Amino acid sequence: MITCPNCRHSELPGALFCSHCGALLEGTTGVATQNMRSTGQLADQVTSSSPPPSLPSAELQSAVSLCVVDSGQIIPLENRDEFTLGRSAEGQPILPDIDLAGFRAYEMGVSRLHASIRMDGKQVFAMDLGSVNGSRLNGQKIPPHKPCALNHGDILTLGKLKLQILLRR
Amino acid sequence: MPPNYYHLLGLSYDASADEIRSAYRELARKVHPDANPGDHRAADAFIQLQKAYDVLSDPKARQAFDESLPIAFKTPPANLQVFYSRSSLMAVTDPQLLYALVRIGPSENAVQYNKHPLNVCLAIDCSTSMQGQLLDTVKATSIELVRQMRPEDIFSIVAFSDRAEVVVPAMLSQDRHRVETSIRMLQTSGGTELYQGLDLAYREVQRNRSSKYINHIVLITDGRTYGDEGVSLLLADKAGKEQIGISCLGIGGKWNDSFLDKMASISGGTTMFVNRAKDVQTFLVEKIQHLESNFANMVRLNMHLGEGVELKDAFRLAPDAAPLECQSPILLGPIPKESPLEFIFEFLVSPFSAKNDKICLFKGRLFLEIPGSAEKNSLLLDLERKVHQQTDPLPPPQLIVQAMSTLTLYRIQDRARKAVEEGRITDATRLLQNLATHLFAQGNSEFAATVLREASHLQRTSNFSEVGDKRIKYGTRALLLLPSNMEKNV
Repeated sequence: MITCPNCRHSELPGALFCSHCGALLEGTTGVATQNMRSTGQLADQVTSSSPPPSLPSAELQSAVSLCVVDSGQIIPLENRDEFTLGRSAEGQPILPDIDLAGFRAYEMGVSRLHASIRMDGKQVFAMDLGSVNGSRLNGQKIPPHKPCALNHGDILTLGKLKLQILLRR
Repeated sequence: MPPNYYHLLGLSYDASADEIRSAYRELARKVHPDANPGDHRAADAFIQLQKAYDVLSDPKARQAFDESLPIAFKTPPANLQVFYSRSSLMAVTDPQLLYALVRIGPSENAVQYNKHPLNVCLAIDCSTSMQGQLLDTVKATSIELVRQMRPEDIFSIVAFSDRAEVVVPAMLSQDRHRVETSIRMLQTSGGTELYQGLDLAYREVQRNRSSKYINHIVLITDGRTYGDEGVSLLLADKAGKEQIGISCLGIGGKWNDSFLDKMASISGGTTMFVNRAKDVQTFLVEKIQHLESNFANMVRLNMHLGEGVELKDAFRLAPDAAPLECQSPILLGPIPKESPLEFIFEFLVSPFSAKNDKICLFKGRLFLEIPGSAEKNSLLLDLERKVHQQTDPLPPPQLIVQAMSTLTLYRIQDRARKAVEEGRITDATRLLQNLATHLFAQGNSEFAATVLREASHLQRTSNFSEVGDKRIKYGTRALLLLPSNMEKNV
């Protein structure tokens, strides 16, 4: 028997993929089938010294941005109309569109796939994706899997991590 | 010039020694003088048969005889390629898995084949739930299809609900005006009793069935049929044996997908899931186009598994991704003109004696139904692997890894559904989350989000949402047909 390196599920010799978690099994090395989306670009954007926001008249580049309240850093949400927020974790292939691991997300109780932000025309919605510690909008707990409309300046709290929603007028 | 011994034995040029022996034995029993006392023709036939067997069973004599045969007879009807996940089997004490990917493409001379005439029946579910936009779209598409029919095509329409009726009887050169009027008059009423519709559609196609036509039933339904699944499957099996394929289009979330999948797989058709009215049109038009441009109508595989070998899973990768039956004969579906038919087998090989240096996985023969071809077209498909004491150092071919990577996702989905049926909701949720993880990793975030939503729906309600399970099933199946996969296959 061979053991799946990811979930310890037992598989028969000759198997290529774990039937439980779908991971590529050992002995088939040398073939890369899973392509991780690079988050390098986002990391650059986040670490680049954006000026601290002076609300509410900030000159924002994108229609929707997130401001990490603790650090004042701005994360622009660009080129798509739906983003998942969460944190990457080692050994886990889940990668949210916006990785908050750099903002002490783990300590703050952010789930790997915590919430999503969706733009629908002029409206912007946040939705909790069934996270462990839940999400709050301006201090009010929001029910999981229900989109909630966002306004400029709203505070979205994932676990304990506070994000301010910035909308371009 | 001696007669063609292969024809005499009913064999094709690539016949194996085993096939020659068993064909000879079977015929010999029939024409043996003891069985036909006083029959001179049988006696002559027996002598001829003896001669044929003497030549073909002797490798040297067979080779000499082969040289005298015309090239056309010796050209295989299609190109066959086999890829294995391992170059050899391991001498281990555990049972082991081995994958074989088989690809059958049209042979070079296939391009000269023309589009084949159709003998198609649309069986339309007219139960109350189809009312409104759905039936309107189906009607409009049917009219469009009627207009596209060529003079040589035979087309019929059956409507079914609680009862079934022939709306457009099968015949050549229909009065289009009248046909279109009949289609427009279709109305909804009652529930879905699938067998009635299927039976009537089968009879319409059966009336004109011939090997020069592509005989097919396209079933369009949005409901679940109750109590007549068994008889429907029997009919599908019969249809499949008579070269009448059944393809199903399931709309929305209520129809029974395992049942329709089974029906398609035993008759050599396909199943499609659509959730929007406008996709109905795309499916139907494409389905008809594919039907007429196939190189081979149907490929069936007769096989015997080797000792200690089990065929655990069989799956068609192209042209339509779908699970296949694991029992001989396996209906593999058509070979399109432009692209190959591809399927993958998963074998479970029991531990074998260390003395073996070769393991036979299976011996089989592929029968190709090529419309308009008078010849019996078949290909030998024997799969075997050498045995090695050590683990195979070579990685499996990329083609197989790729196919299995996606097929694994389909199977995880399958396991999740089974877990739900057995009430193991936590397991099912976990599996769906695993599935979503891979979809995210592959950049398929939209579909991944759908799967995650379904996972949490499952957690909350202990069941799938109405269309959720089907969306995931046919979604993972469609992954196999993504262009990235196709490119590698060329």
